Amino acid sequence: MKRIVTAIAGLFLLLGLAGQFSAAAQEEAIAKTTLKEGDVAPDFTLTNDKWEQVKLSDFRGKKNVILAFYVLAFTGG
Amino acid sequence: MGISIDSPAANAAFAKQIGVTFPLLSDMNKEVLTAYGILKPYDVHGGKYQWARRTTIVVDKDGKIQHVEYDDSAVNPNNAVSICTGLHDKHEK
Repeated sequence: MKRIVTAIAGLFLLLGLAGQFSAAAQEEAIAKTTLKEGDVAPDFTLTNDKWEQVKLSDFRGKKNVILAFYVLAFTGG
Repeated sequence: MGISIDSPAANAAFAKQIGVTFPLLSDMNKEVLTAYGILKPYDVHGGKYQWARRTTIVVDKDGKIQHVEYDDSAVNPNNAVSICTGLHDKHEK
């Protein structure tokens, strides 16, 4: 039941945000990274969804990494 | 890896709901968003917020940025995955 309520709340939030994003947000200064291809990605250590510390530089020499920045959990953004 | 300002608990619930197999990282202090220059202002129902601009960045094994995509383009991961796979194949050859 709790999951259903959460899903419905997320859906309403998504629908609400979708309308707002297209209008108001685009009038604001659009954030754009100054980082470009070939630059070293700034290192970071963040906590994942299993409460483990993840450090970007730990992947060096091991794996290519995709960083997918999303607006908020439970939204389509 | 996914990154947002959500808490680890919110990300855990979100990960469970959508069934992702990759980690969702929590940038609650917005330090990484700021360092990457993609902290974006949003005006939602009169409230002012700062969240991530939807962005996808491919980082190679040397820690260097190989590709950057924004907004609607960044929502579809196919291009980034294709580039990442290409990097992997290139390295293997």
